[in-house]
Amino acid sequence: MNLTDLQALEQRYLMRTYKRAPVEFVRGEGALLWDAGGKEYLDFLGGISVCSVGHCHPEVVEAVREQAGRLMHTSNLFYTEPMVRLAERLSASSLGGRVFFANSGTEANECAIKIARKHAHRRGISAPEIVSFERDFHGRTYGSLSATPALAANPDLAPMLDGFRAVPFDDGDALHAAVGESTAAVLIEPIQGEAGIYPLSDETLVAARQACDESGALLIFDEIQTGIGRTGSLWAFEQTPVRPDVMTSAKALGGGMPIGACLTSPEAGEILEPGDHGSTFAGGPLASVAALAVLEIVDDAALLRRVREQGAKLRDALLALDGVEAVRGRGLMLGVGLEDGFDAAAVGADLLERGLIVNVPEPGTLRLLPPLTVDSDQIERAVATISAALLSYATHEQASL
Amino acid sequence: MSKRPSEPRALTSGTAERLAAIVEAAEQAAAKVIDDAEEQARRQLSEASARADRIVAERLRALADELDPPAPGQREPHLRPVTSVPEPDAPAGPRSGSAGARLLATQMAVSGSSREEIAERLRSGFDLADASEILDAILGPEE
Repeated sequence: MNLTDLQALEQRYLMRTYKRAPVEFVRGEGALLWDAGGKEYLDFLGGISVCSVGHCHPEVVEAVREQAGRLMHTSNLFYTEPMVRLAERLSASSLGGRVFFANSGTEANECAIKIARKHAHRRGISAPEIVSFERDFHGRTYGSLSATPALAANPDLAPMLDGFRAVPFDDGDALHAAVGESTAAVLIEPIQGEAGIYPLSDETLVAARQACDESGALLIFDEIQTGIGRTGSLWAFEQTPVRPDVMTSAKALGGGMPIGACLTSPEAGEILEPGDHGSTFAGGPLASVAALAVLEIVDDAALLRRVREQGAKLRDALLALDGVEAVRGRGLMLGVGLEDGFDAAAVGADLLERGLIVNVPEPGTLRLLPPLTVDSDQIERAVATISAALLSYATHEQASL
Repeated sequence: MSKRPSEPRALTSGTAERLAAIVEAAEQAAAKVIDDAEEQARRQLSEASARADRIVAERLRALADELDPPAPGQREPHLRPVTSVPEPDAPAGPRSGSAGARLLATQMAVSGSSREEIAERLRSGFDLADASEILDAILGPEE
């Protein structure tokens, strides 16, 4: 079956919710992917920040392979050891409270929203409100979607859930003013990912923490993209001047296996009770052993230091390129802002042709999320490829004038 | 025998002592952060209360003037606030104050960042040209 066959079947059988690039990948190893024709690609997207330990990391593969042959699923009506061990490890490495497992990031955020609303009701708030920033992305199920202003504006999907509002991005004063007696939580990404990699300033983060402390609301960090070492610390909040009450994780946590988690402080961990929430698949042994293997690799001071060093090297090299206006982000989570006149979508398509996979989250920005294990040669190769693509675009544009 | 992620390696005595020192220093720093935050919260509550009292007082004056305008030549309105409200001592500092800087440094230290990395982050995020006091408190004096 070739790519044309796959596309024909897609047209007939798959819902038209994605616009896929015309490439069929069949194998991956580390930072590399190979398509059905044997062409090699350098993957600086990592399945949208999922494959942070690289494709098919041998320790993750072995953990999944062994567990799949022993026990794959029992449901949450019974105990399985990997889930409990994973909860202990996640709690100890984050906020010290409890963990609720989910199957994805948006589900982890649904749990956080429930915690916030129940906490608010306990405080006597009858119509609790959750405040986020414009351009935040928290997911596509209805609760998370309602906290994702850009997508929530789609009239075809109305009505959204009540009780969500957004304030201008990185505006600490607007956030402070929006948080009041009826606020259940402030739900934010410490670095906006889907929007194009935009970090919140320290001042805004402190304003959010103070607003929550003054009102009794919970501060929730969506660390679905920033977590699991992506920014050079296990969690992005560790490089900020605040500590959230609740945070959510997913994407890289499973190294390719679907898993999400809602992590709490000790106090916030006491809010949900039996019957408040649940999931058939969540915390299953297969995804849990994968996550334990990922944490064993990533929760390592030497690896995290390397992420910071490689990130700084990549940032400096990109900033030196003609056509690059700015590089935003932290660690190996970088948004490359192109100068006016560059069509990021065209540059991204050319990069794919040249064997470098990146993402274009908004006009004018390339998003880079390489594996945390990427080596210096691969970084130099990626920078050289981007340089060539930008030069080609500029030359072509010049010639067409 | 099933393969599982290996147990953490035993720490050498030097590393263990260093880790214990960092943890102790971090705990001390965290306690100070909490004290500072509580003090800051008390000050802000007091300032907010004072601001609210001033607004109420001004509104009462305005209402009184509307209902019972002062006679020509009369300088003071009839209604006055029950108590006079003192001005706050000094404007509150920036939101990203020293408590935030210490928490940032503590979290970065626990997450494995070096002294230089923390100092650079404090410089860029908090305009702290000299972060040695905070760094000494958390990581111990530079050798």
